[in-house]
Amino acid sequence: MSHARWIFAMAAALSVAAGCSDDPTGGPTGGGAQAGTVILRLTTPYADDGAVLFEVSGPPIDSAVAVNGSLRLFTRRAGGSTIVGVVVGVVTGGAVVTLHVPDVGAAAGYTARVLEVADRQDALRSSLTGYALTVAP
Amino acid sequence: MRFTVLRAAFGFLPTTGSVLALLALVGAGPALAQGPAAGSWREEVRRLRDMPKARPGSAPSGARPMGAAVAAATVAETEPNDSVRTADSVALGDRATGVVNPAGDVDTWFVDLTAGQFVSMDVDAAASGSPLDATLVLFAPDGRTVVASNDDFDGSDSRISYRVPTGGRYFVMISAFGRIAGGPELRYAIDFGTVVCAAAGTEQEPNDSPGTATPVSIGRSGSGEICAGDANPAGDVDYWAFTAEAGTTLELDVDAAALGLLVDPILSLYASDGVTQLAFNDDGDGVDPRLRYPIPATGTYYAAVAAGAEPSGNPFPYTLHVRFLPPGPGDPTTVRAAGLGFPLGLAVGSTGDVFVGDVAGNRVMRIAGQGAGAVTTFAAGIQLPLGLAFDAFGNLLVVSFDGVVYRVTPEGQATRFITDAVFPFWIAVAPDGRIWLTDVSDRSLRRYSPTGEFETRFDAIAIGGSGPGPLVIGPAGEPYFSNGTEIWKLVDGRLERVFGDGFLIWAFAFDVAGQIYAPMPTAGRLKLFDATGTVVSDPFAVGVEAPQVVAFGRDGTGATVARLFATDPTAGRLIEVNPAGVAHAGHPVGFVPPPLFTAEVAAASLLGADGLTAADLQYLDAVGNRNGRYDVGDLQAYLRTLGGLPSAAASPGRPGSDR
Repeated sequence: MSHARWIFAMAAALSVAAGCSDDPTGGPTGGGAQAGTVILRLTTPYADDGAVLFEVSGPPIDSAVAVNGSLRLFTRRAGGSTIVGVVVGVVTGGAVVTLHVPDVGAAAGYTARVLEVADRQDALRSSLTGYALTVAP
Repeated sequence: MRFTVLRAAFGFLPTTGSVLALLALVGAGPALAQGPAAGSWREEVRRLRDMPKARPGSAPSGARPMGAAVAAATVAETEPNDSVRTADSVALGDRATGVVNPAGDVDTWFVDLTAGQFVSMDVDAAASGSPLDATLVLFAPDGRTVVASNDDFDGSDSRISYRVPTGGRYFVMISAFGRIAGGPELRYAIDFGTVVCAAAGTEQEPNDSPGTATPVSIGRSGSGEICAGDANPAGDVDYWAFTAEAGTTLELDVDAAALGLLVDPILSLYASDGVTQLAFNDDGDGVDPRLRYPIPATGTYYAAVAAGAEPSGNPFPYTLHVRFLPPGPGDPTTVRAAGLGFPLGLAVGSTGDVFVGDVAGNRVMRIAGQGAGAVTTFAAGIQLPLGLAFDAFGNLLVVSFDGVVYRVTPEGQATRFITDAVFPFWIAVAPDGRIWLTDVSDRSLRRYSPTGEFETRFDAIAIGGSGPGPLVIGPAGEPYFSNGTEIWKLVDGRLERVFGDGFLIWAFAFDVAGQIYAPMPTAGRLKLFDATGTVVSDPFAVGVEAPQVVAFGRDGTGATVARLFATDPTAGRLIEVNPAGVAHAGHPVGFVPPPLFTAEVAAASLLGADGLTAADLQYLDAVGNRNGRYDVGDLQAYLRTLGGLPSAAASPGRPGSDR
């Protein structure tokens, strides 16, 4: 087994074992790839979002952090190539989460979707029409 | 005093009727039973009331030393007539008139009767606008032996119908109830005559046996009169015959007392052989009978209506409704425990065991195994247990008819706990552990600390009806209560009507979606309403004789589940509705202890991790948006309670929230 493959296997195992934390995700490092960050951006029809539950799938993700101090982020790996997360606070349209990834060149391979949204009074949005998430450098 | 009357009624008659009467007697009581569908019932009563008594047309022979009365005449009293020795004379056919005056006055009349006569002494006072609440007593010829008495028959007007066993001079005494009142306005008339059993309604006399039963169809009603005439001096029985199909649920429902007459009919269902009694009921709908029976085989069945008390006494009209009951989503029901006496109050413990108060046995019973296991006596010696609720410390609080709330430890040891309410009736514990009581003595809600210290009371007379009665805590932690036929709530000290229904609503329950499961004993079914009072399912379940109190089951963690129990007092049982028809788990009931888990654990659970119990998840939903499931809004709310929101987002919750 090559050195790179050992690293890949160890990282995968660690990522499976990882639970919930503010720094939750680990991912593989591909040979020749350029590690860096990509941004998870939210499109919202509302100005009073308080909490968003989301899912990101695609290439590996090493970790995720909220883009600013007005947000609190929790994530959890849900399978090898998917993370689910919830960001809570003063959520506005635009950048919400920074994803640390092993290959910024693979940004186009990520898909993200909104699962639930609550307003700042804790009420669940009855419809997610108008919401969208994108991942881009 | 009303309180005394209540105690007397409840103490001597721990039956459905007396329990229902409890609400009816408090204040301006609502119509407890289905009102007569049309004017026919009222007309029957009016007919009975106004029906002329047989007038012999001549005075009895023999000397009348105390003054002869002229037959078919109006005879005014002549005071003093307070005893048999000074009694005034009347004859059958006469109308005696007088005034109960002064206070404590008793007027005595005598009448000569012949053996075998079926005589009637019918008071007309309140019906004519007199304020007299009469009591009538009939004495044997010895002047001392009471052979019959009556307080109320037609409203507060008395009537005695009596089959004379031995000829002679009988004495009738009339007074105000309790021999207390009196005054020049307390006028009365007594019509002396013989009872005439006239043809009434659709019955075809003689119909005193299955072989002579009057036919009636499913979905129709039959009407008649129970009258112990000369053909059946020991008591009238009316048989009705109908054909019912296998697999259907039959309901037989008698209206008689519902007319305003103080009578107590009974009802039996017989098999096709006319001999085998399949079902019997006395007081399924107040004091009127109603029974249900699942028909096992298509064929002819017989219903028999008779008088339950004094079968040779006052005649009365009735209507028998013969119906097929379509099932609701909560049917079929399952009997979880039987032989419970008269189970009224109901509470489910933190491990799912079910507790019921047996009014007839003055005890609290425990049904283990989350309502499906052994039945044992949990606490004994608690007089007429009414409302039940668990406090914040795991003790069962039991409201007793003796005016005390008892605290029963998990080991079953009962001690007096709350003693300052005059007539506590129902009880509930809020999520914060505070205890709420309804007090029917002054029609108020009273709030106590979790440890039983009185905090405040709220006057609820304004809600009208008979409220506040049965009490539950609503989804937002506010008390909801019934005034008889309406549900009200107390929000920030203000009384708000939620909705009303045509039937009596007893102790209801909320599910996590805010829907209300309402037991309606006089309607003999459960109804399901949404939070605004719009009917979701009617019936929700009919497999209950007279459901009184409902409560959701709980699992071993204390979380409420989608199982609904109901006490069915007239049948002495605890039933569970079909869980397949219960769409949501119950709203958490009682004290909700603050959980001991971190924001990270709460978030991880939302993101799919294990680690929280169903009760924890219900708590999180209760903290948040109370929509019946744990979601992202609930996590936000929980972070706020922990101080775990970013400062820019840590504003208070929704306006008007109780957080």
